[in-house]
Amino acid sequence: MKKSWVKAVKMATILLALTLLLSACGDGSSQATQGANAAEVDSGPVTPGGELVFALGGIVTDDNLDAHKAGNAQNGRVMRSLYDSLVVELPDHSIKPWLATSWEISEDKKSYTFHLRKDVKFHDGTPFNAEAVKFNFDRIKDPATKASSSLNEIGSYVSTDVLDEYTARINFSAPFAPFLSNAAKVDLGFVSPAAVKKYGDKYPQNPVGTGPFKLVKLVPGTEVQFEKNPDYNWAPPTAKHQGPAYLDKLTVKYVPEEATRISVLQSKQVQAADIIPPQNLVALKADNQFRVQETELLQVNFSIYLNPQKAPWNDLKVREAVRAAMDLDAAVKTIYLGTSKQAWSPISPSMLGYTPTVENSWKPDAAKANQLLDDLGWVKGADGIREKDGKKLTIEFIDTQGNREKRLDLMAVLQQQLKQAGVELKVVSLPSGTYSERRLKGDYDLVAASQFSGDPDVLRQIFSTKGPSKKNNLARANDPQLDQWLEDGYLENDPEKRKEVYKKAQEWIIQNVYSIPTYVFQYSLASVQEVNGITFDSPGWPVFYDAWIKK
Amino acid sequence: MIKYILNRIIVSVPVILGSLTLVFIIIHWLPGDPAQMIAGDDAAPERVDFLREQFGLNEPLWKQYLDYLWNSLRGDFGHSFANSQPVLERLVAQLPATLSLAVVSTIFAIVVGVALGVLSAVYRNKALDYVVRVISLLGVSMPKFWLGILLILVFSVHLRLLPAIGNGSFKQLILPSFALGLTGAGMLTRMVRNSVLEVIQEPFVVTLRSKGLTERAVLYRHVLRNALMPAITVLGVLVGEMLAGAVVTETVFSRQGLGKLVVDAINQKDIPVIQAAILITGIFTIIVNLLVDISYSYVDPRVRKAR
Repeated sequence: MKKSWVKAVKMATILLALTLLLSACGDGSSQATQGANAAEVDSGPVTPGGELVFALGGIVTDDNLDAHKAGNAQNGRVMRSLYDSLVVELPDHSIKPWLATSWEISEDKKSYTFHLRKDVKFHDGTPFNAEAVKFNFDRIKDPATKASSSLNEIGSYVSTDVLDEYTARINFSAPFAPFLSNAAKVDLGFVSPAAVKKYGDKYPQNPVGTGPFKLVKLVPGTEVQFEKNPDYNWAPPTAKHQGPAYLDKLTVKYVPEEATRISVLQSKQVQAADIIPPQNLVALKADNQFRVQETELLQVNFSIYLNPQKAPWNDLKVREAVRAAMDLDAAVKTIYLGTSKQAWSPISPSMLGYTPTVENSWKPDAAKANQLLDDLGWVKGADGIREKDGKKLTIEFIDTQGNREKRLDLMAVLQQQLKQAGVELKVVSLPSGTYSERRLKGDYDLVAASQFSGDPDVLRQIFSTKGPSKKNNLARANDPQLDQWLEDGYLENDPEKRKEVYKKAQEWIIQNVYSIPTYVFQYSLASVQEVNGITFDSPGWPVFYDAWIKK
Repeated sequence: MIKYILNRIIVSVPVILGSLTLVFIIIHWLPGDPAQMIAGDDAAPERVDFLREQFGLNEPLWKQYLDYLWNSLRGDFGHSFANSQPVLERLVAQLPATLSLAVVSTIFAIVVGVALGVLSAVYRNKALDYVVRVISLLGVSMPKFWLGILLILVFSVHLRLLPAIGNGSFKQLILPSFALGLTGAGMLTRMVRNSVLEVIQEPFVVTLRSKGLTERAVLYRHVLRNALMPAITVLGVLVGEMLAGAVVTETVFSRQGLGKLVVDAINQKDIPVIQAAILITGIFTIIVNLLVDISYSYVDPRVRKAR
C-alpha cells in the first residue's frame, strides 16, 4: 500500500512539473518565423460559405445593438455588420453613395436632399424609404429614445421632409459640415421602423437593419450570432463584390481578457480576434499561420490633459515644463514595442484636417523643464520633489479606465520621467461614479482619455466651452479664440477652409499645452491564415462583408 | 425540524431587509449621478435632467426607499437604467451559467478537499502529506485569473482538450470550475486535515480502537463524521463567494455570470440591477446557510438532540 503511494506522489510531481513546463513554452510555440508578411499572400479564388467566429476585445455593453443608442467602440464594431448608412467615406475623406444614390446641398448649407436606392429592404422585409429616413433621424432627436453619440452626430438637426417615396430632405438649423462624414458611420445607420415599433424597449436586443448580416441570436453578456442576409444587394462602392456576404455565419464572442483572446486564436477556437497586445502582435506577425491587420482608428488620441483651471497648472510655463520633462517617444517605444507611434496632434494622423506642422513642435528637454520650474520658485525638497510655499509639485491623475491599451503602464513610465524633474505624478484609481463627479467639478490635476470619432469636429467636444454639454469640456480649456475656430470648423462646408481652421486650432492647442497627445492607436485584428477579405470602414470598424474562409 | 426551519425563515426576513437597506444607503451615499453617467459626461444638461426624471431619481430619497422596498416585496425589480430591460430578465438570463459553475466547483471543492484532507491527516508527516499541503497552499494562494490563464494555455492551447471560452456545455464548465473550485478545495483540505488530526487524538477514538474496530471503520464512521463539522461551516461561506465572487473566473473564461453583471452594474451605477442582484445573492446565501445548519444535524446527532 505504502509503495503505491510513493508512486502516486512521483506521478503527481511529474505531472505538475510537466504542466509548468508546458505553460512556460506558451509563447515559444507561436514563434514560427517563416518569411513574408502573411497578409500579402495571394489566397486564390474566393470560397464562399462557412462560419467565422470573432473574439471581440471587450463586451457589447448592456447587450445594446441599437445603432442610435450604443455609443461604445466595441458595440460599433459589431453593429457595422447589421446596419448600412446613407453614404460611405473613403480613406481620402471623399464621400460616395451607399443607400443614397445622390444628394444635393441647399444654397444656405442647411438642407441635404438625398435620393435613395429603391431596392433596399430591412431584414424584416419592410422597405427602406424616405419615411424610414425620417423615422430614424426623428428617433435620434427624440429625448425618449435616450440616444448616445448619434445625438451629437446629427448636430443641429431639425426635421426631415419626405419629398416622395425615395427622396428625403434633411434640415438643420445651421450649417453642419461634419454631417456627411457622420452619416457614413454606423451610429447613423438605419434601424427598421417596424421593428422599433414591434419591440419597443427591447429593440436594442432585437436589432433589425439593412446590413449584410442579420441577427440570429443574442446571448446576453457573451455572444452575438449572425447569419448572412440572402437578399443583400446594396453594398457600398468600397466593397469588393456585390450580392450577399460570402460567410454563411458570423459569430462574435466577447473575450475581454486579452490572454484568453490570444489563446483562443492560437488554438484556432476562433478564426479572428481584435485588439492584440503589443507582445503578441510581434509574435503573430512572425507566424505564417496567422495574419495581422492594423488600421489607424480615427479619434482624438489618448492624451494627457493638465487642468488649466487649477493652480499651478493654470500657468502655461508649468504646463510646458511638465511636457518638456516627459520623453514620450521613449515611453511609447518601451510600452508598445514599436507597434504604435508617438502622437503629436490631438487628432490621429489620418483624420481630416490633421496638420503635420505640430510634429516635433516640442521635444523632451529636462534642462528646460528644470530651468522653468526653478525660475518659478519650485525648489527640490529632501525627497527630490519640488515645493513652493510648503506645497509639493504633485500631479493628481484621476483614472477609472484601468490599464486598457496599457495606458497605465505608459503613465508609469512617464511618472518615472517626471520624478527626474522633481514632479510627482500620483495615480488615483476611482470607481466611475466618483471619477465622473470629480471630473465634472474640475477637482483634479490631470485626466487622460481618448475619444473615437471620424471627424475633427470632435475637438469641439473636448476643447470648446460651446460643445455638446455647453458647460464644460474634458480639457477645461476656456479660450474664446479656440472656441471661435472650433465653431467655424463645423459651420464651414468647404473642406479646404475647414482644414485651414483645424490647422490653426491644433497648433493653438499644442502651443498652449491644452493637450499632451501620447500615442497613435493602431486597431489590430489578427486572424487565422485561411481568413481573407476583412476590411475596415471610415472610423476603423471591421467590415465582414467581403470576408471569406479558404477551404 | 419543521418548526426550526420556519423559525430560521422568519429570522431571515430582518436579515434581508437589513441588507436591502444597507445597499440602498451605500448606493445613494456613493458619489456619481446615474443619470449623468448613463448620458455621458459630455451630454447636454437637459438630457441629464430628462433621464433623472425617467429614472425617478428626483423623488425624495425616503420615497425612493419606500417604493423600492414595496416593489421588491412584490417581486417587481424595475427596469435597468443602462438598457431599459426588466431587471429580473437580465438576472435570470445569467443564472444558469452562474448556478452551474457554482454547483460544479463546489462539488469539486468538496470531493477534492475532503479526500485530500483525510489522506493528508492519515499520512501525517509522510511524503504524501507534504505534497498535499503544498498543493492546498498553492490552491489557496494562487490568483484565480493566473490559474485560469494557465489552465487555458495547457488544456486548451497545447493539449487542445477543452474549449477555453463560453458556457452551455459541460466541457466548457470543466476548466472554470477547476479554477474557481481550487481555492475552496485548498481551504477545505487544510480544514479537514486539521480537524481530523484533532479528533483522532480524542479519547473516544482510543476507546474505539481498543474495542478492536478496524482502522477503516474508526476513520470513516467516527473520526470523519466528527471532523466534518467545521468543514461544512466553511462550505456555507464558500458558496456565497462562488455565486457573486466568480467575476474573475467569468471574465477569464468569457462566461455569462451574475458576478460580471453586478460589477458592470456597479460601474454604471445601474441601481435597479445592483439592488436586485444583491437581493438574489442574499437569498441564496441564506438558503445555503440554512441547508448547512440542517446538515449539521444529520452529520452530528448531538445537534439534533440539542434542539
